[in-house]
Amino acid sequence: MIELENLTKHYARGTMVTLALKSVSFRVEKGEFVAIMGASGSGKTTLMNILGGLDTPTSGTYRLDGLDMARATDDELSSIRNRKIGFVFQQFYLLDRADALKNVTLPLIYADGAGDDAARAGQALAAVGLAERAHHRPAELSGGEQQRVAIARALVTDPVMLLADEPTGNLDTRNGLEVLAIFQRLHREGRTIIMITHDVAVAEHARRLIVLQDGRIIGDQLVSHPRDAHDELGRLTPGAPGVRQG
Amino acid sequence: MQFSRNAVLSCQILAAHPLRTLLSVAGVVVGVAAVILMVAVGQGAESRILDRIGRMGTDLITVNAAPARLMMGRQRTVATVTTLTARDARAIAEDCPHVAAAAPSVSKSLVVHWEDRNTTTNVIGMAADGFRIRNIPLTRGRPFDREDDRLRRRVAVIGQTVARNLFGAADPVGQDIRIGRVIFEVVGGASLRGTDATGMDQDDVVFVPLDTAMRRLLNIPYIQTIYVQAGSNVALDQAEREVRALLRERLRLAEGRPDTFTIQNQRTLIRTERDAARAMTLLIGSVASIALLVGGVGIMAVMLMAVRERTREIGLRRAVGARPRDIRVQFLIEAVLLAGSGGVLGVTIGIGVTFAAALFGAWSTKISWLAAVMALGFSMAVGVVFGIYPALRASRLEPIQALKFE
Repeated sequence: MIELENLTKHYARGTMVTLALKSVSFRVEKGEFVAIMGASGSGKTTLMNILGGLDTPTSGTYRLDGLDMARATDDELSSIRNRKIGFVFQQFYLLDRADALKNVTLPLIYADGAGDDAARAGQALAAVGLAERAHHRPAELSGGEQQRVAIARALVTDPVMLLADEPTGNLDTRNGLEVLAIFQRLHREGRTIIMITHDVAVAEHARRLIVLQDGRIIGDQLVSHPRDAHDELGRLTPGAPGVRQG
Repeated sequence: MQFSRNAVLSCQILAAHPLRTLLSVAGVVVGVAAVILMVAVGQGAESRILDRIGRMGTDLITVNAAPARLMMGRQRTVATVTTLTARDARAIAEDCPHVAAAAPSVSKSLVVHWEDRNTTTNVIGMAADGFRIRNIPLTRGRPFDREDDRLRRRVAVIGQTVARNLFGAADPVGQDIRIGRVIFEVVGGASLRGTDATGMDQDDVVFVPLDTAMRRLLNIPYIQTIYVQAGSNVALDQAEREVRALLRERLRLAEGRPDTFTIQNQRTLIRTERDAARAMTLLIGSVASIALLVGGVGIMAVMLMAVRERTREIGLRRAVGARPRDIRVQFLIEAVLLAGSGGVLGVTIGIGVTFAAALFGAWSTKISWLAAVMALGFSMAVGVVFGIYPALRASRLEPIQALKFE
């Protein structure tokens, strides 16, 4: 479903050429939950941008759901991002002035299909357990709840892939685990999820771990014993504030 | 992209900064309000002028014995010319097929006395038909008639300024006034007529029968002015041609020599005055539109600020599927909404001030709905023109860079 072959990306800045990705190849099948790990400078952000259709590779091929992403135009990429990809960012990126429901509706503004946008947004909010918070603005929600709104926004167009960039990076342990628990549940329901992180503890909630270093894949294996975020939440002292992660 | 939904969101965003939004549209508001007010004042003046001219009758042709000279940019008749007589007036009425009637007249500035009061006024000797031809109704008493004229009776119809100056609030009808050394009986009072196009007070006047004036007051055999009534409104130009041809023939003017008399056609006068008033309206209207253009700069400034401030929002919108075109349209819509709301506010204020000016000031105003619609349309066009650059900038942002923007 996702096919990368000899994907290379370099940035030219003046006469300096930085190689961000060097001949990266892997496949992700439908329904997989993959963590891509690497230190800063490993090329994981570049990879994430290309996977998300926000950037194009210098060479190599990238197919998403049968579509050639390497040669798509800006408008085509926009449409693909809208239909096939659901983004979850570290900083949530919610619109302050719109309530949760309006925020979740945003991608539908750019979708072709007619239909009851509010109802679809409501369902997406219900899927992350925030149905009763639909008319709260981001400022009235906790960090964890804001990220769940962002996940609902990613789900509302029913994309083929959720692409999460450090989704727990701005959250404390409890809220981070809640987000990971939602990802694990979505994975069980058949969603394809690619999560980018630098944190092993977070990455081990996925089923498969791809490790990047200096723009190359140095490891790609199944996680032998994935952590269960739901269990971990249960073991946390109830009401404990939780320690902020990394 | 779904327009309505995005427009609602845009409104919410604009409403979130009420003060900034208000300041940014202030220029447009002032510009539109100024256009509305200025055009209202201009059109008020125009309709007042036309109303005044129209009251003199639109089928009127005025023949002056003196040739026209251009003085201070206006046509004035000068010098004493003795070429026209009452017979010329009679010939015009009888021989010109498109002329219904013609009334000869003379005038002179004389002192008029009543008891111990006196006033210098324009004494007009006029054939009795003149009241009808010049459209001068009476508010009291009676006009003089042909019999009064034929018998050279000493009767007078006075204008309202003269009535006020001599009689105050008292009824002048039946009173004896003295013009020069001749006693006249006031038989009627003319209705209020205001000032004419040259600013002369048309109510500072005393009408007496033509023959009375020529034989008893001025002792002259010639006349100065002939008021000609065309057979109909449409025949005005035709009637003017006939009068000119007839007079040239009677005065034996060889071909190629200029007229020794002046013909003024009421319709030409209206046209001239209206053109002058329109030019004025257009001029002040365009000055006000400059304020509108300046207002556009305010719109552009606030839109550029909005694009910068909402860079991450733009990045997010791009990430969830907005094409550059969608971003462009969104910011353009916001600019037009901004300018349009300023326009609506400006129209409201402009109409309010116009009403206030009409209520408290001496200005006569006439609100032009065409100007209101055009000002509103123009303000929205300003939104488009000054919104294009910010919208282009927004749409050219790279999604990745936009998302990372701090």
